[in-house]
Amino acid sequence: MKALTANRLTDGEVVFWTGADWSERFIQAAVFEESDVAEGAEAHAKSQFTLVVDPYLIEVAPVGGGLAPVSYRERVRAMGPTNKPDHGKQAVGGDDIAVLAGAHGAARSKGRVDLIRRK
Amino acid sequence: MPRLIRWRDGQAVWAEDPFTDVDDDQPVPQGDVIVSLARFQREGRTLLGEGRNLGVRLAADEAPESLIIDLARLAVVCLAFPKFRDGRAYSAARVLRERMAYTGELRAVGDVVLDLAVPVLRCGFDTVVPADSSSPDQWTAAARRFRHVYQRSADGREPAFAQRAKGEMSEA
Amino acid sequence: MYRYDDIDREMLADRVAEFRDQCGRRLAGEMTEDQFKPLRLMNGLYLQLHAYMLRIAIPYGSLNAAQLRKLAQVSRTYDRGYGHFTTRTNLQLHWIKLKDAPDILDELAGVGLHAIQTSGNCIRNLTADPHAGATADEVDDPRIWAEAIRQWSTFHPEFSFLPRKFKIAVTASPKDRGAIRVYDIGLRLHRDDEGALNFEVLVGGGLGRLPHLGPVIRERLPVRHLLSYLQAILRVYNRHGRRDNIHKARIKILVASLGATEFARQVEEEWSLTDKEAVDLPATELARIRAGFAPAGFETLPPLSATFESARAADPALARFARRNVLPHKHPGYALVNISLKSIGETPGDCSAEQMDVVADLAERYSMNEARVTYEQNLLLPHVKLDDVPAVHAALVDAGLATANIALISDIIACPGLDYCALANARAIPIAQDIARRFADPALAETVGELKIKISGCINACGHHHVGHIGILGVDKKGEEFYQLSLGGSAEDDAALGQVLGPALSADRVAPAIDQLVEVYLRERREGERFIDTFRRAGLAPFKEAVYAQAH
Ligand code: SF4
Repeated sequence: MKALTANRLTDGEVVFWTGADWSERFIQAAVFEESDVAEGAEAHAKSQFTLVVDPYLIEVAPVGGGLAPVSYRERVRAMGPTNKPDHGKQAVGGDDIAVLAGAHGAARSKGRVDLIRRK
Repeated sequence: MPRLIRWRDGQAVWAEDPFTDVDDDQPVPQGDVIVSLARFQREGRTLLGEGRNLGVRLAADEAPESLIIDLARLAVVCLAFPKFRDGRAYSAARVLRERMAYTGELRAVGDVVLDLAVPVLRCGFDTVVPADSSSPDQWTAAARRFRHVYQRSADGREPAFAQRAKGEMSEA
Repeated sequence: MYRYDDIDREMLADRVAEFRDQCGRRLAGEMTEDQFKPLRLMNGLYLQLHAYMLRIAIPYGSLNAAQLRKLAQVSRTYDRGYGHFTTRTNLQLHWIKLKDAPDILDELAGVGLHAIQTSGNCIRNLTADPHAGATADEVDDPRIWAEAIRQWSTFHPEFSFLPRKFKIAVTASPKDRGAIRVYDIGLRLHRDDEGALNFEVLVGGGLGRLPHLGPVIRERLPVRHLLSYLQAILRVYNRHGRRDNIHKARIKILVASLGATEFARQVEEEWSLTDKEAVDLPATELARIRAGFAPAGFETLPPLSATFESARAADPALARFARRNVLPHKHPGYALVNISLKSIGETPGDCSAEQMDVVADLAERYSMNEARVTYEQNLLLPHVKLDDVPAVHAALVDAGLATANIALISDIIACPGLDYCALANARAIPIAQDIARRFADPALAETVGELKIKISGCINACGHHHVGHIGILGVDKKGEEFYQLSLGGSAEDDAALGQVLGPALSADRVAPAIDQLVEVYLRERREGERFIDTFRRAGLAPFKEAVYAQAH
């Protein structure tokens, strides 16, 4: 499964493609099961160069309670820096952030194995 | 005839290019031509003897010093920018202008775009074949954007330290 | 400090106008990202994980109060009220919006600050000995020469598109506080037997993927020829450095492949053909720059201060601070006061806007309007009267800036790592925080003594891990963070590259491993030995055994 992410041109904010628009929240990301659909969306995003910079596809996988990006890097992007919990998207909080934070924990314990193998 | 941008009296203008750029595997046509260094080393004397204007193009890894003997008889030297980020031609240009006293046309060819206007002109190039759709007016404006320079180069601009020595600028 | 004249100011103004135009064209869709990216990078604007990052140059690490206040104000207005000081003595703001960038650069230009050449394959922001102008062992003020190089290298037409980035460091003392052996060019000022000033020139040092310590290519370069000689080095590099492989494009690879002797010969040949008078600064200009760094108004004071002595006798915290963070000055009755940006549990190198304001006030009031940034990601007040040290200390305590740990195990260098950096493999900051917390007890940290830990989140080595007494490098193993430890590196006079300890460790194993390494040191050390000395005597084996014996 894949999602499409980028940084917004004007302010660099991490955004996710919802299928119709760009959202700041990972939970609103469209999830692609088919790789040609995903690649189509990516190509379309590349043409939106006045809105976003460097769009690319990321792997996502189920974790307890929802979906999360597989790579650690992408979870940091979807949440914010781990050294400043009051900065980035995590500062706003919410259920989706809790899911991502849980995936962070998973990557440090046994549960991480699932996340890593999928890569 | 193809066009290029020529720098003249502090201003960039469109100019016609009378030279034909000849590949190594093509026969040399009539008229003014530009050939590679390898061909120049083989056929240069003959070509020069035919009463035409002759130019040489140097690849980025070819040394301008190889032209030392015949430099005064060349009408144009082309230096290659294989990529925007490849800056070898700047050194070659300064060596030609400042060390080898070359006064003929020095042409920047390859991935040369407007955003390179300042270093290209400062290193002594006087013609460019722009790889983008930039116009002479834009090149003129880009070259005039900076009122001062900090170092001497092949364009003869007076550096900040020389202006200061003349007391043209005040300490504020 | 050097003060900008109209020429310097107009250079910055012209640059800001140019960048404003370029940003406008990008936002209006007249330029693609491919076209714009090199232009924004030339103005220090990166796109990182969460936002744009602006890297502001602090030339040779010197700041006055007005500049520091401006950095505080910019970080409050356009960022999140803090900044991150780096090992290159730059300040990075991590939450910048593209649309604000021209306004920020405009504001910075007002106090003579900029982000020019903090990125790209050009000559980057210069670094110099942070103790310049204050230390008794220097033969000249290295900042005079650093400023000369700053001007010469700014918008250099020939050297704006080198094979790779290029970093120069200048020092003027026998003791190397500038890590000059790990720079593309390291310059050490010294006097010859006749008393004339010369540079020792080292070329081809560097960290990163293939670390090298720079060899000396010329022992005595008369100082007046500095710029023409640099031009010769840069020209040889620009013409012959590799451009086919980004990992082999730094000058260290050219020097290593030619050999230092042959490289030096090529530089000398190029230099012999150079019209030196056209490049080297005339004596009048050097004198003008020198005047900017003239020592101003040191009073004649007794070497000991009764105020300071009695205050530190009465206050153990001040006594510890004096021991760790206060250094002797070349003028009797004055001191250098280090300000640690490594308070326990905080992000190394981070400084809040409020803290910047406090340091600005202290610099203005107590340190002749000067503050410094060190490559160890700390700040420093270079000219404080001993009489004033208690007051400075008290103000630092109030601002959370009085951590007395300079050069101790909790004074850790860490790059931003995977919390911010788009190139990272692993986080660096939380590792530093974990280790610092274990040695939070100042008495314990002092018992362990000098121990320099340096952490990088990837092989680019912004955290200088190769030259840490203990170096820690973040690596990616199948999407998970791992860390490779190395021992025995040093960035100073006894410069050395660290040796890898063994297989990489998972994140939660790093801080316990540091504990184990310290235990071995405390067990094995002989009288007067620092961690690195014990390592050099005893070798890798006992350390390796301690960490890996228990790993299974
Ligand atoms: S060392 Fe790597 S992770 Fe750290 S700041 Fe440099 S590039 Fe980023």
